[in-house]
Amino acid sequence: MTSVTTNPSTLLPLELVDKCIGSRIHIIMKNDKEIVGTLLGFDDFVNMRLEDVTEYEATPEGRRITKLDNILLNGNNITMLVPGGEMPDA
Amino acid sequence: MSTAPPSRKEALTSFIQQIHGRPVVVKLNSGVDYRGVLACLDGYMNIALEQTEEYVNGQLKNKYGDAFIRGNNVLYISTQKRKV
Repeated sequence: MTSVTTNPSTLLPLELVDKCIGSRIHIIMKNDKEIVGTLLGFDDFVNMRLEDVTEYEATPEGRRITKLDNILLNGNNITMLVPGGEMPDA
Repeated sequence: MSTAPPSRKEALTSFIQQIHGRPVVVKLNSGVDYRGVLACLDGYMNIALEQTEEYVNGQLKNKYGDAFIRGNNVLYISTQKRKV
């Protein structure tokens, strides 16, 4: 544990996320949901505080888009984080 | 695990303080939205809401004076500017 944190050449996964604070981030959730927003902070569970958020839901009727101001996102259903990624169209 | 800098979490704690007693939207994993005034929130994201309105597919389905939402169902808690 300490050997990992003291070795300067290794970057802990959460330190990568830490570097994204203040910039746009693309979050891929379980069950066909994706979220794009500006990352303001997060905790050890990767619950996240996001700003200027767009939520994309895949529904049988097509993609549903929801715009949100400021959210506290539960980390429980997050699959992947893509730094700087805006949602592709299509 | 306690090596994380506190600044990381600050945005979350300040948000929690900010939304206390304010109108919020709580979205569950099922896709159902609950709009109401946030009475209480804990570390499990268990939530107590007042003047709660239940929206399914964007349509108002139910109203509750008080509602408790178990945290495991919560997808996100969002601020709400005004009633839409």
